[in-house]
Amino acid sequence: MLALSGITVRYGERPVLHGVDVTVSRGELLAVLGANGSGKSTLLRAAADLVPVAAGQVTVDGGPRDRLDLALVFQRIHLVRRRSVLDNVCAGALGRLPLRSSLLGFPREVREEAMACLERVGLADRAHDRAGSLSGGQQQRVAVARALCQRPRVVLADEPVSALDPAASEQVLALLAELAHVEGLAVLAVLHQPALAARHADRVVGLRDGRVVLDGRPDQSVDSLYQVLEPVS
Amino acid sequence: MTTVDGVRRLPVPPKPRRPKAMLIGWAIAAVVVAAHTVAWETTGISLGALVDGWRGMADFLGEAIPPDLSWKVLGPSLDAALVTLWIGLLGTTLSVPISLLLALLAARGTAPAEWVYQAARAVLSFLRAVPDVVFALIFVTAVGLGPFPGVLALVCHNVGVMGKLWAEALEDADPGPPQALRSAGANRVQVAAHALLPSVLPQLAGLLMYRFDVNVRSSLVLGLVGAGGIGFLINQSIKLFKFDEMLTHILVVVVLVVAVDRLSAVVRRRLSEGDHA
Repeated sequence: MLALSGITVRYGERPVLHGVDVTVSRGELLAVLGANGSGKSTLLRAAADLVPVAAGQVTVDGGPRDRLDLALVFQRIHLVRRRSVLDNVCAGALGRLPLRSSLLGFPREVREEAMACLERVGLADRAHDRAGSLSGGQQQRVAVARALCQRPRVVLADEPVSALDPAASEQVLALLAELAHVEGLAVLAVLHQPALAARHADRVVGLRDGRVVLDGRPDQSVDSLYQVLEPVS
Repeated sequence: MTTVDGVRRLPVPPKPRRPKAMLIGWAIAAVVVAAHTVAWETTGISLGALVDGWRGMADFLGEAIPPDLSWKVLGPSLDAALVTLWIGLLGTTLSVPISLLLALLAARGTAPAEWVYQAARAVLSFLRAVPDVVFALIFVTAVGLGPFPGVLALVCHNVGVMGKLWAEALEDADPGPPQALRSAGANRVQVAAHALLPSVLPQLAGLLMYRFDVNVRSSLVLGLVGAGGIGFLINQSIKLFKFDEMLTHILVVVVLVVAVDRLSAVVRRRLSEGDHA
């Protein structure tokens, strides 16, 4: 579904990714692991077209990537806290709405689709609450619903649980795995916690110094990703 | 390290001397003193004149006190105070659409292009630089005496101030939600309408209330140059040497200004409280 091939990204002269190949299939939750500075977030940003790519290409279903095919979920959630949960989810549909019908409230069919997305993440009963009044974990689930309302084929989640407590983290990752399996989405999640990846991901990719050093079953040992090579003085 | 009565002490190292910084300090002090000397001379400040004028001030106060609180003075005074309030209200409200448009064009992040940003900033600077009294004099000449030129003058100046304040509030907003909507394919206008404006609405409303407060006070001064309201009555009573009536008008003004100031403060406090909820 989502294929990244030969991706090279440089920040100035310094290469951050060296020809990285990663694929995510339909119905699969792929966790990308790695230490700080390993290039895992840059990989996600390259997939989302948020950083210029020096070499390599990104395809969705074998074809060129359409912006609306890829939905993002952010570490800092980025909901509009003062708006209702429902309005926040509806905003995911903005990319396919004409300007005229999106300025004065959302059309009924979009609101009903957004309700279905909220139902999907288990928060339909909170539709009219202010987004800011929900807990962090609930807010991240609303952000996932917003991503669903975009009707994507791929979901890219950038450290989606780094700001959440352990219970909420489990819930959000279980939700992402379920969406991959049941809705047939390709989900790529950059994670900081190998244990969470082992429990929820279908496959893990490990990055070290901008290269893929590990790709396979989620329950394998990933300690080598985080070892410090030079002795710390 | 020395130990005195069981307390450890370390001598403070001497401060490094920086002759250059001291020189600059003295130079700044000299410029400030020189500026004040020139200003004192130019404005003709004279304690002698103030002492000599004491008798005039006393006569003035003697005639002003007690204020004339008869209904024939107080009634028109209250009516005119209401006119002043309406001038301030319309001067604020009517400037909202233009201020919003210019603020969006003059904020980084919502400005469609660099030249638009610079142009919008220039328009706002111009409107801000021309005082509302000058706008009032222009509009009085154009459309005649009365409250209407006052409203026009306030709108012009207030667009300049409120547009700038709003543009800065927009620039200070959390960039996260707009980024999320852009990544979902929303265009510039949709991002402003669905992420940016909803986030900063309380700040914009608070600044609006602050400007309403300022504009009511400004519209008093506009009355002095013929743009209607209670300022016009104050001007008239001074010209006719009816100082007791003038004092009545001033007391009404104080009540009006304090009331609007309180209202504005209460609304702004409620807005900022709601923000943290």
